[in-house]
This record gives sequence, structure tokens and C-alpha cells, in this order.
Amino acid sequence: MAGAKLFVRRRDGRVEVRMNEFGRSVVKSAFENVLAAERDPAHEWHIALSGPIDPSLDHDNPVSMLARQNELSTNAELAGLTISEEFLNDGEAWAWLTTLQVALRSTAQSNGLLSDEQLAASTDEILTYVRTLQQFLFDLAACF
Amino acid sequence: MASTQPLRRTTTEGEVDVKDAVETQKPWSVVVWDDPVTPMAVVVVIFRKIFGYSNNKCTQLMLAVHHEGRALVWSGHRERAESYCVKLQVAGLQCTIEQDN
Repeated sequence: MAGAKLFVRRRDGRVEVRMNEFGRSVVKSAFENVLAAERDPAHEWHIALSGPIDPSLDHDNPVSMLARQNELSTNAELAGLTISEEFLNDGEAWAWLTTLQVALRSTAQSNGLLSDEQLAASTDEILTYVRTLQQFLFDLAACF
Repeated sequence: MASTQPLRRTTTEGEVDVKDAVETQKPWSVVVWDDPVTPMAVVVVIFRKIFGYSNNKCTQLMLAVHHEGRALVWSGHRERAESYCVKLQVAGLQCTIEQDN
């Protein structure tokens, strides 16, 4: 996957997705997992998506939690709906970036990867998945 | 018997409690925490998009998160701090708010 850029900002402002079917299937799976985790409290990623805004309080601010839930779901839904698109507008590209980033951090948190040492000691499968998402994010971030 | 007290007070000294210091509400800070997987470029993009900071300032904040484990990225009213915190969490960064001491 190294070499050619996976996301390119075109002159007309759109972001071109230069990803093969396998790449899109990885991204699609990540988007679906974020959406599922947001809706299902039993999902292994759910806890990573529901961290408190103010840890000093026993109960988080319900208005803030609702806002977060809505925005997360909206981004993941928009990202999922545009998974087959060749070109993304700015809002769609942002939804892809944020949803991929949520998927990356949720993967790390649910696998206990909270330090560089823990990341280095993780299995090849997890490490490959993390590095793949990081590469997607790195290329996409360069478009903003 | 005639009073020796003046009919009109000539001073209000000692009767009015003047408060020298005005106590204001302590500001709330938005704190972003480091994690081992988020690419640095992504953090910079998210800061720029959400706060509208310059690229230079976003890079400095990202490096502060990376080297110190956490960084205060915004300070002010609680409601706005919560709003920024929600946006950062939605963007996938680990973030909390805390009141300044």
C-alpha cells in the first residue's frame, strides 16, 4: 500500500479516493463497527466512544453526551453511505477522517494499547490493522 | 437636655462594606490526552478544523500532547469547553474538561 497516495485533493476541491476493493472493504468494516458500537452498549468499542467529558463528575452532562452520540452516528452514517464514491466533497472527507480516527482509537483502547510499548507488543494482526488505518488517515489528513 | 450628636452624619466611613476583590468564575480548560496510535498529522488537522488555529499553533499543541502526555488546548466558559470537548471526541481524540485551579 506504500507509494501511491490513497486520497488526493483535486483542483475542483473534491477528494479523490484511489483505493482498491480490499482497501474499501477495510474502511467499510471500520465505518460499520463505529456505527454498531455507538448503538450497541455491548460492543467492544462502545466504552471507547463514551468516555466522560468531565471525569470529576459521577454523571456526565446528558446534553453533551447526546450531542456526541448524534455527531458520531451522523459522521459514521455519512461515511458509510459514501463508501463506494470515487470523489468526496469536504464534508464527506471530514466524515471519513473522523470515523476512521474513531475506529483507530477504539481498536487501540479495546485491545489495551495505551502506550508505545503495549502497541509494539501487540499481535501482528492488530498491528497490521492499526498501521493500515494510520496510513489511510495520514493520506487523508494531507488533503485538509 | 440638648444632644451633642450632629444632626447629619458627615461620613459613611465604617458603614459601607467595600469589597476590594471581585471574584470571577474560574475558567474551564479543554484537555487533550496522548495516545500511541493517532498520527500527528491527524491531530494537527483536527485542531485546525475545530479551533481555527494557525498551522503553527496546532503543531505546537500537538507536540505538547505528544511530549507531555496532555495539553490544554482551549480555556474559557464551561459550555463552550464542553462543546469543544464533544467535537474533539467526535473527531476521535481523547479529551476531557477541567476547571482551572
